[in-house]
Amino acid sequence: MQSTLTLDSAAQQASRARKLQLLGILSGFTAGAWLGAAEAPTKLVTFGLSPMVISLIMVVGVFLARWSVPALILGTSSVRADVRRAPHLIIWALLAGCLWAVANTMTIFAIRDIGLSIAFPLWNSNSLLGILWGFLFFNELRQAGWRRWLGVLGGALVMCVGAALLAIASSTQATAAHSLRGVWAALGAGVLWGTMYIPYRKAYLTGMNPLSFVTFFTFGELGMMSALAVSYLGVAPLLRELQSARDVLFWLTLGGFIWVIGDLFQQYAAKYVGISRGIPLSNTNQFWGLLWGMLVFGELHGRGHSIYAQVIGGSLLMMAGVAAISFSSATSSEQRCWKQAAHREGQRYNIESDFVDARMVGRQSASEAKPSRTAIDWLLVAAATTIFAYFAATARLPQIQLNWSPALLLSAATLTLLVICGVTLHRTTRFH
Amino acid sequence: MPNEIAPRQSTLASILTDIHFWVPVAVLIGGLVLLTFLS
Repeated sequence: MQSTLTLDSAAQQASRARKLQLLGILSGFTAGAWLGAAEAPTKLVTFGLSPMVISLIMVVGVFLARWSVPALILGTSSVRADVRRAPHLIIWALLAGCLWAVANTMTIFAIRDIGLSIAFPLWNSNSLLGILWGFLFFNELRQAGWRRWLGVLGGALVMCVGAALLAIASSTQATAAHSLRGVWAALGAGVLWGTMYIPYRKAYLTGMNPLSFVTFFTFGELGMMSALAVSYLGVAPLLRELQSARDVLFWLTLGGFIWVIGDLFQQYAAKYVGISRGIPLSNTNQFWGLLWGMLVFGELHGRGHSIYAQVIGGSLLMMAGVAAISFSSATSSEQRCWKQAAHREGQRYNIESDFVDARMVGRQSASEAKPSRTAIDWLLVAAATTIFAYFAATARLPQIQLNWSPALLLSAATLTLLVICGVTLHRTTRFH
Repeated sequence: MPNEIAPRQSTLASILTDIHFWVPVAVLIGGLVLLTFLS
């Protein structure tokens, strides 16, 4: 009788682990679609704003979304409860936000100096660094066997080659004079973004909810981005540029909002499949971004057949990489290694093991109160909505040729992924 | 006794003695230095 119960329990755990792995893969793929779609509104901004100002305005949209979306889904009481249990993660989240902002600024220099075709594959190497950090610090791919290693590492490498092809095809900018500087900038962005996932994984191994983590992450993001914008442009020129950008505030903040949705799914991917698998999956954003550019904005219109061959070849390679990683989900022995890492973190930061264990499998611990929304949450949602509505009311409709049928089709596909992944996340984990 | 947690050092001390913390910090500082060099 005892052994039957133990077998049942082991079977339930294995089934739960499989569900979470699939959820992580779905989250990574959905993240790619939404992160790629975030580029679409920014393409509507056609007049000469400084890239630093464009980034700063997008980050303002990100900030609004990072507080209102978690308030709407779980309520800020859940964020407060998470922070009480793991206060150290505030510092980790701020650090990750700073890393993101510096990396994002470097991409501006990289694109300017070497063009998107060389820069994009260079900073996409962040997935390889993520695999290294995941293995070294969080026991990822330990006891995984050579097939899993081949699937994850090989898949990530194939995706890098696919990314290079897509980037070459989508590049419209000629290589500039400061090529070495641009290479350093792109590699720097890749290192910063690859390292940013250390705090992510740290947070999720110790039980923090992704929705809580991002609310503090965004302070680092906005703070560092504002500091960089002020130091590069100066206060008065920055204010002048912001003033001149009034007509396009909506499109840029909307891009930031869409980006947050993608990033939230990326956080869930990092939580449920680890950073070694989650980062490459969400790097499919390049593929989606190219689809928007090519089909909706006609960016490659009139280019030669070789460009289309590169796009098709790059996309196929990317899909092959995604498939290889998706079929290399963590075995039960690798997941035991993840648990060891989680308990090590729990002990270091004095977090109850019940809480760590429950959150690791996407559940609440017995001692936790059910999340609920309060007036503060509705106030946050209303404030963010009002700001977006104001920006929308003052926005200028850009005079740009759009292909509406593919736009609607891509929007429908992206929204379908949101619904499928959102519902699956809710049913499986209640967004934990 | 799975829930029993021994008395520990402060949160700040736990962070500052965690090697995982210093890797992103070093990368961030390196990134800021590189940005200065790039601009």
